[in-house]
Amino acid sequence: MSDNILILPILIPLAAGLAILATPKKWRGVKEAIALLATLASLGITLLLFGKSLFYSIPWAGFGISFSLRLYPFSAFIIAATAIFGFLTVLYSSSFLFKKDYAKLFYAYLLVSLSFITGATLSDNLILLLFFWEGLLVTLFGMIALGNKGAFKTATKAFIIVGLCDVCLMVGIAIAGHMSGTFEMSKMNIPIMGVGGIAFLLMMIGAIAKGGSMPFHSWIPDAAIDAPLPFMAIFPAALEKLLSIYFLARISLDIFKMAPESWLSYTLMTIGAITIVFAVMMALVQKDFKRLLSYHAISQLGYMILGIGTLVPAGIVGGLFHMVNNAMYKSCLFMTGGAVEKEAGTTDLAKLGGIGTRMPVTFACFIITALAISGVPPFNGFFSKELVYDGALERGFIFYLAAVVGSFFTAASFLKLGHAAFMGKLQERNRGVREVAWPMLIPMIVIALGCILFGIFNAFPLNHLIQPSISETRLHGESFAGFPTNMTLVIVTVVVLVGALLNHLYGVKKTGNGLGAVDHIHYAPGLSWIYKKAEKGYLDPYNLWWGIINVFSAVMSWIDKAIDWLYNDFATGVANGLAITLKKLHTGSYKIYILWSIAAAIAILVFLLKAGA
Amino acid sequence: MEQYYLFVSIFVPVIGSFLLPAVGKFSERVRNLSALLFVLVSLFGALALVPAVMAGRVINIAIPLPLGFNFAFTADMLAVFMAIVSSLVGSIIVLYSFDYISHYDNRNEYYLMVVLFLGSMMGLVYSANLIFIYLFWEITAIASWRLIGFFREPIHVLRADKAFLVTVFGALMMLLGFIFIYNTAGSFDLAAIKVYFKTNPVPNIAVILILFGILSKSATLPFHTWLPDAGVAPSPVTALLHAAVLVKIGVYVFARLFIVTLPLTPQWNVIIPVIAAVSALVSAGAALVETDMKRIIAYSTVSQIGFIFLGFAIGTEVGVAGALLYILMHGLAKGGLFLCAGIVEQNTKTKDITRMGGLIRTMPVTAISFLACAFSVMGIPPFGGFFSKYLVFSGTANSGHLFIAATFLVGAILTIMYLLRIFNLIFMGESHLANVKEGSQTMVVSVAVLAGLSLLCGICIKYPSEFVQSAVKQMMGL
Repeated sequence: MSDNILILPILIPLAAGLAILATPKKWRGVKEAIALLATLASLGITLLLFGKSLFYSIPWAGFGISFSLRLYPFSAFIIAATAIFGFLTVLYSSSFLFKKDYAKLFYAYLLVSLSFITGATLSDNLILLLFFWEGLLVTLFGMIALGNKGAFKTATKAFIIVGLCDVCLMVGIAIAGHMSGTFEMSKMNIPIMGVGGIAFLLMMIGAIAKGGSMPFHSWIPDAAIDAPLPFMAIFPAALEKLLSIYFLARISLDIFKMAPESWLSYTLMTIGAITIVFAVMMALVQKDFKRLLSYHAISQLGYMILGIGTLVPAGIVGGLFHMVNNAMYKSCLFMTGGAVEKEAGTTDLAKLGGIGTRMPVTFACFIITALAISGVPPFNGFFSKELVYDGALERGFIFYLAAVVGSFFTAASFLKLGHAAFMGKLQERNRGVREVAWPMLIPMIVIALGCILFGIFNAFPLNHLIQPSISETRLHGESFAGFPTNMTLVIVTVVVLVGALLNHLYGVKKTGNGLGAVDHIHYAPGLSWIYKKAEKGYLDPYNLWWGIINVFSAVMSWIDKAIDWLYNDFATGVANGLAITLKKLHTGSYKIYILWSIAAAIAILVFLLKAGA
Repeated sequence: MEQYYLFVSIFVPVIGSFLLPAVGKFSERVRNLSALLFVLVSLFGALALVPAVMAGRVINIAIPLPLGFNFAFTADMLAVFMAIVSSLVGSIIVLYSFDYISHYDNRNEYYLMVVLFLGSMMGLVYSANLIFIYLFWEITAIASWRLIGFFREPIHVLRADKAFLVTVFGALMMLLGFIFIYNTAGSFDLAAIKVYFKTNPVPNIAVILILFGILSKSATLPFHTWLPDAGVAPSPVTALLHAAVLVKIGVYVFARLFIVTLPLTPQWNVIIPVIAAVSALVSAGAALVETDMKRIIAYSTVSQIGFIFLGFAIGTEVGVAGALLYILMHGLAKGGLFLCAGIVEQNTKTKDITRMGGLIRTMPVTAISFLACAFSVMGIPPFGGFFSKYLVFSGTANSGHLFIAATFLVGAILTIMYLLRIFNLIFMGESHLANVKEGSQTMVVSVAVLAGLSLLCGICIKYPSEFVQSAVKQMMGL
């Protein structure tokens, strides 16, 4: 097989996306057909490539910037996952976006994004990676802006937050390249002392911001409301996480010489722990199906960052396994949310309830994936979380505690969500709710089945996808397949889950409905005040950032105006003053003029004499 | 043969420009087309020189005159690169002017000044002699003075005077610096100066004086305030000032003198980037506060010029390459932004962005072109600006001045913020204006071409990059 086949999974979606842009709007079904065929073709190629190792490189822009692609187990696995999610999302959208005005643009942006994500994953050259990675900003902006009326504001927010971090990544890459003398990732090995640490930090910011880690998360909940749902189901839920964690793993495990005792390891674990806890606390009190899920999309990323940040084998494997598992259940959860939105016309939990019996397949998929995200055995989320717990405990009890607390609230909020949306009393306005069409059901069913299979048969993903992605030196030949070995951790997990269930029953009993199941936490003394502030956006880092920038730019503008004053008023004032003074000296008196002339003549004479001497 | 191309590409526009008013007396159309033709001659003249300079040759024309005022022109890679950028953007601007300026009086003068402006730019980039650099420098100052005050309202004339006074003050300082160089090296000829300073130190006083000229022409802090004020000019003129000619003169002469000819001592590799950093931050902050569309884009130019100076002055090969590409990418994108702003201004009769909104629905091509050019200025791939911004950062990283890199990191983030702000306020959200039409076909095509070129330069980065790589080698004598 020739190595240039590596270009195909990048080129096919790109060409298809451009072709869709060129198709006239009236051609019904053509854009869906192109999108389906293209994603299917990339899926076929990525599966064909699976298990191979290829390298393709051509010179590109000089200065160490080459167009070099590398296929090895890790990248092969990520591009295959990208292609699968791409195909399923297009299938789902073909029904969800049917007859929507923006469908054409959405498919085009989606396919171009798939191309860029595949490109970024395959890139061996960091600049090429940055090219694809940052290029995603354009389609990100486009896809969010397609949503409802004010969506462009959220698109701007996303663009600024992610763009800011991408610029950090750019500088980080420049420094890393300078330190190692090459931009080929497979040849880099940088110590993290001094400047290396700065480079790592900058690249880490770029990596985790793509996934929406705190404090770079706040556009995701807004996008959940404003952006088209398929966007949420594939990007913040799945592909951005894959890309983010893929790159984080690459920089932490390959490019930089990271050791568990380094301060950067603690930085990563702390970011992970904070993200888990704070995001899940926000998720808990949400009253909207999609917004609630979006906070979980943030919180789950925390587990992956925590896992990788531990830099111990169990944590790394757990973090990567969690990345795959989360992509599956989270995108399926968003798809069930989309099904509800399409049928009930809303995702406001107060207006839902009791529709589970009317859409049984959707409900079943929801239950499976909700159990998976809550970490209930034997679903996939249980196994990856246990590994993360294991790694976190090895590095510090506090990190383990954060992870467990996160699990408690995750379970609690999904009990609330499922109860409020699907169970309880059916409202009058939802009488017309029925099961959605098969193009939407198939992706959900496939992914839900995957969640079961990846749980029961976890040896397959672990032995064939995750562990081969990590170098032998990191794993020391250990295998993490099968049931967790540390039974104490499993017992703690079960206790926590039962606790969450009891908490739910208590809340339901107290308020009488599913939606109010966590009100006793939401309105607890102290917490309710923080929640109020958070809901008003006072704690949104984006707003804080704009606040800082507004003050900064006011000062800068003042400096600018001050400089301008020097030209407009000061310089002209001095010139005028001088002119007026000189004018006053010219009184017309010959006596004074003669005196000046004599003085000048003496001055010249003195000068000449001095020069002569 | 090549000498002929070189000669033609300078003197066809310079001399031809004076014929335009006469042509305009009997046919507007012929005058417009000949104006475009003259600029295209420069473009194709420069393009015809590419194979020769790529082969490593340097083309000279020299006619000795007394007192060192040699009539000497040289085409090396740097000069040809700059000539291509200026005449390419310049010719699109002239095309755009066909429609734009047809709404106003004094069209003969307009075309005379624009073509003379571009012609003297050609003269400047090919000059091999300090005196001719100064001469063409001042011709551009006169042309820009007339063009900024083109609409002749009192405030416009005042602003034009300000631009003229600031840049001419700088130019006179620079002339003094040239005289210092002459006194030291004994020649105005760049080749002779280069030979002399290979073994002798450059007097710092000369560097400072010349920097006065460069910074004032390139609108860098603290000599920048005339540039936002010059936004009262017709939009194609502002595009010309920002993208093709005026502010690029300063950075070009910087490269010509301080990279090619005079070796700078290392302390300047810090001082100039620091000036550029302050300039980039102050103007970016101002761009976030202003509400006048053209002033915002003007502050953006001041800020981006900082990046170009950073690349040139930081003293690394990659940085110089980044700065050269930056001139190209910024020229295309900034030209596009101003021409889009011109369409918006002409159709809405306002420059206040707080009174606009929702224009993407009525002028989609302009909006998309604006966004594409904005992406390029921000440095978002696949647009060309990505590579230039990255290379400048890479060059800074190579120099080891991380603090400077950090300052420009903030500058790059602010760029994203102010450009999205202006885009959103003009094109997105609720519309505050009724009955706004898309611009005329020629104008819309011009902006779409600039946006398309910004994209093309990113995708086909290989070609400009190859040229720039050899150019840097030639410039730095590697």
